[in-house]
Amino acid sequence: MKPRVAFFDFAGCEGCQLQIANMEDEILKLIEIVDIVSFREISDVHSGDYDIAFVEGSISRPMDEERLKDIREHADILVALGSCACLGGINKMRNRFDENELIESVYGDKKLVSNPFFNVHKAKSVDEVVKVDYYIPGCPIDRNEFKRFVISISSGKKPELPNYPVCVECKKKENPCLFDEGRLCLGPITLAGCNAICPSRGSPCIGCRGILEKPATECIEEIFQRYNIDYDDLKDKWNMFNFGDKIWRKE
Amino acid sequence: MNGEIYRLEKDDFLAFVNNLINSFETIGVKEKKGRFVFSHLESAAELRLDHDVTILPPKKFFLPPYEKMIKFNVGEQKGELLGDNAKRVIIGVHPYDIVALKQMDMVYMEGRPDELYKQRRENTIIIGSDILRVNDFSFASSLGTHVVKDGFDLMLTDLGKKVIIEIGSERGRKILMDYARNIKEASDQDIKDVENHRKALPDRYKVKLDIEKDQIPFLLMDVFEHPLWEEESKKCLQCGSCTLVCPTCYCYDIRDEISLTLEDGERIRTWDSCLLPDFTKIASGEIFRKDKSERYRHRFYRKGLYIPMRYNFIACVGCGRCITACIPKIADPANVFNTLSRRKHESKGKLVYRMIEGVEAESHILPEPAVIRRIEPLTENEKLFEIELLSRDSFHFEPGQFVEVSVFGVGEAPISISSPPSGDNRFELVIRKVGNLTNRMHSMKEGEKLGIRGPLGKGFRVEDLEGKDLLFVAGGIGIVPLRSLIKYVLSKDNRPRFGKIYILYGARTPKDMLFMDEMEKWKEVDDVEIRLSVDTCPEGMKWNHSVGVVTTLFNEIEIQNPKETVSLVVGPPVMYKFVIKCLEDAGIKDTNILVSLERRMKCGLGRCGHCQINGIYVCKEGPVFRYSDIRNLPEVFQ
Ligand SMILES: Cc1cc2nc3c(=O)[nH]c(=O)nc-3n(C[C@H](O)[C@H](O)[C@H](O)COP(=O)(O)OP(=O)(O)OC[C@H]3O[C@@H](n4cnc5c(N)ncnc54)[C@H](O)[C@@H]3O)c2cc1C
Ligand code: SF4
Ligand code: SF4
Ligand code: SF4
Ligand code: SF4
Ligand code: SF4
Ligand code: FES
Repeated sequence: MKPRVAFFDFAGCEGCQLQIANMEDEILKLIEIVDIVSFREISDVHSGDYDIAFVEGSISRPMDEERLKDIREHADILVALGSCACLGGINKMRNRFDENELIESVYGDKKLVSNPFFNVHKAKSVDEVVKVDYYIPGCPIDRNEFKRFVISISSGKKPELPNYPVCVECKKKENPCLFDEGRLCLGPITLAGCNAICPSRGSPCIGCRGILEKPATECIEEIFQRYNIDYDDLKDKWNMFNFGDKIWRKE
Repeated sequence: MNGEIYRLEKDDFLAFVNNLINSFETIGVKEKKGRFVFSHLESAAELRLDHDVTILPPKKFFLPPYEKMIKFNVGEQKGELLGDNAKRVIIGVHPYDIVALKQMDMVYMEGRPDELYKQRRENTIIIGSDILRVNDFSFASSLGTHVVKDGFDLMLTDLGKKVIIEIGSERGRKILMDYARNIKEASDQDIKDVENHRKALPDRYKVKLDIEKDQIPFLLMDVFEHPLWEEESKKCLQCGSCTLVCPTCYCYDIRDEISLTLEDGERIRTWDSCLLPDFTKIASGEIFRKDKSERYRHRFYRKGLYIPMRYNFIACVGCGRCITACIPKIADPANVFNTLSRRKHESKGKLVYRMIEGVEAESHILPEPAVIRRIEPLTENEKLFEIELLSRDSFHFEPGQFVEVSVFGVGEAPISISSPPSGDNRFELVIRKVGNLTNRMHSMKEGEKLGIRGPLGKGFRVEDLEGKDLLFVAGGIGIVPLRSLIKYVLSKDNRPRFGKIYILYGARTPKDMLFMDEMEKWKEVDDVEIRLSVDTCPEGMKWNHSVGVVTTLFNEIEIQNPKETVSLVVGPPVMYKFVIKCLEDAGIKDTNILVSLERRMKCGLGRCGHCQINGIYVCKEGPVFRYSDIRNLPEVFQ
């Protein structure tokens, strides 16, 4: 039987789901191998009966946590889709501020806090709330990686993420290294899988797929000196998607 | 220079290049954001011959970073080798890269040639170019690779207004004659100009090796335990760049990719790197070069000792690409070798390293079609499969050899042959389910098709065992390859050729024991002693034998004639050290201990690099080794 899949969104821009909705003619092949029972971006059919739940977005309210736990209970396999879900991502940038002040500065009204829709806590990744079986990182996700994931699951293989840095893909694409231009790139410490899309277009990697499990950091001081890179630059880039994951230098 | 040498005026040279572009897939050196790359030429005006070095070497055209090897259909399990027929011309290849290609040829074209590499190599014309600009990090002159005498079809020296062209092969001569106009014979002055240019080159190198290149292997034997490995590797980002950009690195990974229809797909080969942590990881999670200093060190030993011992060349041509690519600037072979030679005395240990005789694999890239004839569940996690090869009537192998089992769409895995040589085209495999391929095998049914490559590797040489007493020691699934030899030895015809037989076999629990019914029969054969043990026996389970690790069984037997006993040991990595100690205590010589080792494998052909123990390929020089041959290898039992 075809696996039944459902998509759920939490705090995020839905850009990841859009990547899937935009698969165009491939989406027709996709529905040959899976049954999409819930996907707000392409249809209004909804069903609570599914095997695989793709969860997009980060978790920021008690009511979200309840909903997520309910999804976990129904799903055999729960997949975190995109940086927001995998890491907390962009949303975690606000974690350095106080929630009440944030609400006031954004909405100009402190009283909103008592409204459950505005009752926010620090942004969390999905795995800070429930068990996650697989991760498809990226902001937004890479369509091909999503495709490979579905193919793996449908053909009985264990989906796997690469366990090496973006530089591997960057070198295979023969890009001149941005460090040689004196620019900081998070490629050496970021999980590959995006085919080094940013450095290939001349922009540094900002770590949207998450930092490697064991990033090599002992040489950071030396590298910064050699390439004349500013520590704040690292902090900014790092905090963009990986806020809260400790930065190695003793400040 | 003493070959056939011609001269073209610059305009005529450019016209020659344009003519090539119109007739072949023509690749040349082009600029990319201030650096250089080999890329398709649209017109001769794009060609740069004043490059210092390209980001990637021309190996990308022969062993592409991402290569579709086989096109397959999942349902029918049919595969077809994909070729690449393009006739290519590559212009601007520097001498060091030509030397590197000659090295790659030895790896990929000797013995059983790699069909895909060979096809590309034969279809490609190499037009070399003398080095005009020296890369700041290159030390080619110290290795003598700043000039070459052969390995090219044509060699250019761009002298500004004129280009001097040396003929390197008949087909080089032919394309020059066919596609160039106004060809003149080079004058004495032309030749002198080229020679002067080449003579002046060495002085222009900023980086130099302080030792003779022939001394590098000897230096490395002395400095295996040098503090430098730890000091430098601390800074290593584990990014693999130093190997990916290297013209003499050639390790690769293989995986299957299938389309969204789940019906067809391709078997892919991609560049891999021994610097990446998972390079040696096996399904049980074990990583054999665990520490980053070991991986960092391994690369230098490949360049300076292991490959030189195997192929007789230093596997570095001094191009300087690795240093350029290495962000912390620790990948520099010249600097590392120079420092080591200066600080040699700091080393705390040597490496005694010898090559071991290997077997030329009897396999190509494409698996042979086969079918599962019989499946027999053995335990919860192990099943026996009888396989029949469909394309031949007989299959000859030695006990201890293995095959690569291929299921298109899932991948390949090395599996030992578990039945004795029979002469026909059938054999047995016993497979434990641990990962993708092995799980798939467990869900397959009799009559289903799969692919086989092999037999691979070096097995037990039965001639060497004749007349000896044999002591088999098996741990867990280690009984699987040993069963092939045990059944061979115990067969009625062969039994008289061997002395006394002891079999010690241990598994985790009674229900993990394999072939208990066969053991009963083996026991009946003359002069066979069998002892069994389990690590633990859960309550309520029946077990009439010993409890404890396999080494406890040594107390239960008396080895009557240790000097004339050969021991054959196969088990999980942790077992070896303990068993070998028992064997040595019992007085068995290290030359009489044979072990079979497990490592991650991909190609099975001695090319992809995954299975290496130091510089030894387990797939080619093993999996069966004489203990005396490997006991000094630091990476063998860690
Ligand atoms: C010489 C040799 C003989 C072997 N004989 C047997 C046998 O008779 N029966 C048996 O059940 N197992 C045997 N193994 C182990 C078996 O090869 C692995 O269990 C198997 O490769 C796991 O593949 P997988 O796809 O199921 O697992 P995954 O974890 O999905 O592996 C993916 C790939 O990694 C590599 N890999 C992972 N683990 C290993 C490993 N242990 N050894 C080598 N490559 C690995 C393979 O290329 C494999 O295709 C043998 C291994 C070697 C080296
Ligand atoms: S990961 Fe990026 S693209 Fe996906 S939902 Fe979050 S912000 Fe949007
Ligand atoms: S540009 Fe970035 S990703 Fe590419 S090699 Fe340099 S550091 Fe790595
Ligand atoms: S290069 Fe870095 S920032 Fe860009 S997509 Fe890849 S991981 Fe994300
Ligand atoms: S090791 Fe470095 S210098 Fe030597 S050939 Fe490879 S990339 Fe060039
Ligand atoms: S390029 Fe440098 S940092 Fe990267 S793996 Fe090689 S030695 Fe380590
Ligand atoms: S070299 Fe590829 S498996 Fe041994």
